[in-house]
Amino acid sequence: MALTPHSRLPRLLHPAAWWVWGVGLAVAASRTTNPFLLLLVVAVAAWVVLERREAGTTNALAAFLVVGLVAIGLRVVMVSLLGGGVTGRVVLVRLPEVPLPDWTSGVRIGGPVTLEGLLFAVYQGMQLAAILACLGAVNALASPRRLLRYVPATLYEIGTAVVVALTFAPQLVEDAQRVRMARRLRGHSPRNPAEVGRIAIPVLVGALERSLDLAASMESRGYGRAVHRTARSIRLAGLLTLVGVGGVVVGLYGLLDGTSPLVLGLPTLLLGVTCAAAALLVGARRDPRTHYRRDHWALPEWLVAASGTVPALVMILAGARHWDGVVPRQVPAELPAVPLLLVAAIAVAATAAVLAPVPPLLARSRATARTPSEPSRELVRR
Amino acid sequence: MHGGGVVTGVGGSWRTPLLMALVVLVGVAAFGWPFLASPGSELGQMGHTNDASFLFVGLMTLMALVLLAEMSSGGVDAKTVAVLGVLAAAGGALRVLSAGTAGLEPMFFLLVVAGRALGARLGFMLGALALLASAFLTAGIGPWTPFQMIAAGWVCMGAGMLPRASGRAERWLLAAYGLFCGLAYGVVMNLWFWPFMGDSAPAGAGYLPDAGAATNLGHYAVFYVTTSLAWDLPRGLLTAVLTLLASGSLLRALRRSLRRARFDAVGEFADAR
Repeated sequence: MALTPHSRLPRLLHPAAWWVWGVGLAVAASRTTNPFLLLLVVAVAAWVVLERREAGTTNALAAFLVVGLVAIGLRVVMVSLLGGGVTGRVVLVRLPEVPLPDWTSGVRIGGPVTLEGLLFAVYQGMQLAAILACLGAVNALASPRRLLRYVPATLYEIGTAVVVALTFAPQLVEDAQRVRMARRLRGHSPRNPAEVGRIAIPVLVGALERSLDLAASMESRGYGRAVHRTARSIRLAGLLTLVGVGGVVVGLYGLLDGTSPLVLGLPTLLLGVTCAAAALLVGARRDPRTHYRRDHWALPEWLVAASGTVPALVMILAGARHWDGVVPRQVPAELPAVPLLLVAAIAVAATAAVLAPVPPLLARSRATARTPSEPSRELVRR
Repeated sequence: MHGGGVVTGVGGSWRTPLLMALVVLVGVAAFGWPFLASPGSELGQMGHTNDASFLFVGLMTLMALVLLAEMSSGGVDAKTVAVLGVLAAAGGALRVLSAGTAGLEPMFFLLVVAGRALGARLGFMLGALALLASAFLTAGIGPWTPFQMIAAGWVCMGAGMLPRASGRAERWLLAAYGLFCGLAYGVVMNLWFWPFMGDSAPAGAGYLPDAGAATNLGHYAVFYVTTSLAWDLPRGLLTAVLTLLASGSLLRALRRSLRRARFDAVGEFADAR
């Protein structure tokens, strides 16, 4: 698999490519409730994370998977206790039903638990869990902080404020722990709710003092300096913003109201979105700032982004055409079919684990783990 | 002396409130479309699949970016950036520390008090940034982030727009507002994924695309009371209690620091002779 010599060097993939990949996979998962396809999506996400997550970064995927499992469990419990939208024929258990007054129409507590209802809850829960797994995978593969480097210049100050926040937050946690420890040593109970305020004030005042020092040092280094945007460009951006958001409002009204002409709906909405997005870019066009070591966008980025888009497009098409196995039949319960074409489409996303370059730290740790007697998987594969 | 804030930039003085009003309209549609869409409308049709939820995730992301860009256009100086960043860090740290304690988010206490001290415009920016920073800190970016950013921005902005008061009256005012926000935030935030639950919501509590607004409102009320009230009520109460106990001294400290940050020497160039 020699794409170009450049693509084989260890480097970090452009974070935007990973986000396109992950969102594509999530969209694919959101189109189906077929449990086998959903399991495949989770497996693909997990495998790519195993292969291409930079060493030493937090693995967000695990936390997202736990949340997904909790979501499945919650749905199953809710459907068995409160009933659901699917009424099946095969009754598994009959829970004692609580009689409710008439005005709570539709609500029931207890009653029969059907196989179909349970399966439906599990499928829906799995769909959410699969979407969460995709997002967790992206969070693990490309830290969202790296995306901050690509905010358009119109959002430069906002991006700087977020960077400041991310840098300061660990310090604040440390400060809070120090103040709390000091107060505990003086015999104050940490369980008293008023204690939160007493800890918060010294921490926040200290942080604000430091923020003024930070502002001074930022100013002396040219950060946070207002860019010389011409009055015309500011006015143009402001006008575009207003027209765009106004268009979005009108478009939404058209979508909400069934009697309005079709032109008022989606077309106006799209026009508004385009204007608003253009407003973000108009101001950013002549950004005088230089950038330090931008990430490349080369062939691997295109390939990874494409490998995530393919399953999304195929699943959207399959959902629109009502292909077999995309949304399995609920009543009566049956084993869902597994269409090979859809499996192949989702498997395309797994190629990202091979197409993306190995991150540098991971490559180094793999190289050191490599011993002469035991050739690594990397070598075997080549 | 609330309001004002540290921003010295001009420009967009009338545009920002107008834009905010428009975005509130978009927000009303984004959160409330299950009740607003008339049966047979395009959104009602989209409600059958998950398309509407995706549409609004995209729209709200764009709205959050556009709003933040507009608010910071016309120049936000380094002091404002630093103060916003540090307060957002405090909010994010509070959220990280309280992760796992069901619904007990002391972050709202900070948002209410800081929003009061900063005023409406900076308050909105703080609320949105604090949520974004906490999402970055916990690596928890997802489709919920733009909704949370805008909703938390509104919470913080509302505190800055409350009527003037001082002393004990202000403390009670903020505490009542905190209780209200703790509940309202939950009511609003559940809405974005409620239609997404589809048929797997409990009977009589799910979104029915073809039913009218009244039926769906009733169903949503059932859904909210059975699933979320137990989380939101403690959060509202915690915010209120914390605000009553500690907002006085925190407000004083914040206002003193913000006054110190507001000095601003405007340089002027004279023509060289």
